[in-house]
Amino acid sequence: MITPLAPYLPLAVVLLLAGLMAMAIPQLTTRLGPKRPSAIKSSPFEAGSESSGPARQRFAVKFYVVALLFIVFDVEAVFLYPWAVNFQALGWFGYVEMLVFAATLIVGLIYVWKKGALDWES
Amino acid sequence: MTLPNITLADFLPLLPALIMVVGASILLLSEVFLSSSASRGYQAVLTVATAVASGLTALGLMFEPPHAVFLGYGVLDPFSSFLTLVVCVGLALAALASVSFLRKRGAERGEFYALMLFASAGMSLLAMSAEFITLFVNLEVLSVATYALTAYLRRGTRPSEAGFKYFILGAFSSAVLLYGTALLYGATGTTKLADMAGPLSQALATAPALVYTGAILVAAGFAFKVAAVPFHMWTPDVYEGAPTPVTALMSAGVKAAAFAAMVRVFLTVGKGMDPHMPLALFSTLALLTMVVGNLLAIPQRNVKRMLAYSSIAHAGYLLLGVAALFVTAPGEHFRILGASALTGGTPLDVARSDALRGILYYLLAYTFSAVGAFALVSALERREDEDKGTAWDLERFSGLAQRRPGWAFAMTAFMLSLGGIPPTIGFMSKLLIFQSAIDVGLVGLTIVAVLSSAAGVYYYLRVVVYMFMRPVPEGAQTLERSWGTEVALVISTVAVVLLGIIPGRVSEWLAHAGTLFGQ
Repeated sequence: MITPLAPYLPLAVVLLLAGLMAMAIPQLTTRLGPKRPSAIKSSPFEAGSESSGPARQRFAVKFYVVALLFIVFDVEAVFLYPWAVNFQALGWFGYVEMLVFAATLIVGLIYVWKKGALDWES
Repeated sequence: MTLPNITLADFLPLLPALIMVVGASILLLSEVFLSSSASRGYQAVLTVATAVASGLTALGLMFEPPHAVFLGYGVLDPFSSFLTLVVCVGLALAALASVSFLRKRGAERGEFYALMLFASAGMSLLAMSAEFITLFVNLEVLSVATYALTAYLRRGTRPSEAGFKYFILGAFSSAVLLYGTALLYGATGTTKLADMAGPLSQALATAPALVYTGAILVAAGFAFKVAAVPFHMWTPDVYEGAPTPVTALMSAGVKAAAFAAMVRVFLTVGKGMDPHMPLALFSTLALLTMVVGNLLAIPQRNVKRMLAYSSIAHAGYLLLGVAALFVTAPGEHFRILGASALTGGTPLDVARSDALRGILYYLLAYTFSAVGAFALVSALERREDEDKGTAWDLERFSGLAQRRPGWAFAMTAFMLSLGGIPPTIGFMSKLLIFQSAIDVGLVGLTIVAVLSSAAGVYYYLRVVVYMFMRPVPEGAQTLERSWGTEVALVISTVAVVLLGIIPGRVSEWLAHAGTLFGQ
């Protein structure tokens, strides 16, 4: 069975138009808009305050670890919601399944905790 | 709301993988709670115990009747159980070889063994996957763990180079596989292998390009993982740069699991396709892989790199077995390479079932021989030579027969087995594959296989020549013994020799394992 792609044609048109717009509008503003550059205008903009250095800096690796942990537990929470909604229907089986799932993540949490990944100061 | 009908019986086949995951979790927790650096020998012991427990469970499951589990997303059949057994053997031997390897580098960590276990769990599950999404997830479970293991010794330049290359090309090959999957899904409207065959034969009539492109992309994705030519470029660099026990696990486990998944996908889905297509595809891959792998291995003086190319060549022989699975009628195959009639009078289905057994036995044989060889390579290498690349030079093997006769004997057994010389397991397994290929009529391709295998003997025996006929080099460092390596070498040597002479119980299991669910 081949899914006919014809119903998706309007979607393709919208995508094409969106792409064209995204390319055209910056072009138009740079070409049509008046330009009166000054030293202050062409300096990097940093929320109104004086710029304090280049943006390319070395980040501490702990940001990365925290971001990763956030994703993991965020996804866990995403899975918990539909489970909680269907808790009655899923019964004991679903309950045990979710306990196993949570236990796996808790093992990971204990591991990173003891490893010191959550210790921001050190 | 209706619930899918999943019972506890569905979880039984997961037991081998579950044991490995529990073992890995224990290792992770013990790593952080018992962090005294003095006593880390238990980690390898625990890993080996987990592998043995898991392997025995798989052995028990082998005698379950083949059936689908989890609503057809997975299957349990003797084929998958035998493969889990092969993976467990590779895991146990690689873990034993890791003991002294990691201790010499002060890198004993529970995470190393935990990653090995996670990767092996992925391999075991990959062999059972019967649906494309499940298959992809399991492929990633095993891949991500092996990427991390490759770059485990992150201080050196080679491991990070190897890890990076493996990661980039691995991610690329996964993407190729996924793209092929998407095309096949588009053609059939399902991702379950068993449901695909029917719609596929209809789609073949209306949109053959879609089906063929999808199938070729899926095959290319797997060809990357099993290191088949022309998708082999990453193999020597990654195998050389990865820590040697990890290379052992990669060459044995990853390859075995990827082969199992490839065979299952193409045998199940291929029923809906013109059988010429997979036959032509795998014959071409087999031809290229056998010839190129062996030719490129000949000039290698670096033994680890030589074993990497040899692993490519062995993928070629395995692909010959895979090609034999797709001959559907005598005289109906790839004209250039096949003969036109069935020989020997063996019925086709028997020959094909033999080919399936041949592939499994070959994977077991390769696991024992290659993991043993890598264990010996890791015992000989010195930490300080690694960045110079001389750590694995042939010279390191000079005069080994005088210094360590036992090791030299073991290495000789492994080399003979890899070269396919009796009385080793490597000979028996090659015989099985070549025999079944001839039985289905792939005579031309088998002749190429035999010739290239004869060329391979040159570079295998060169190692033996260095061990027995060269003097011990001046100022050779003392060779340290380690219980882990010794045990690994003894087990592999005994298996390589004994299974070549009296396959015994293993051949009974094998006779059983030739059944694939739904075939």
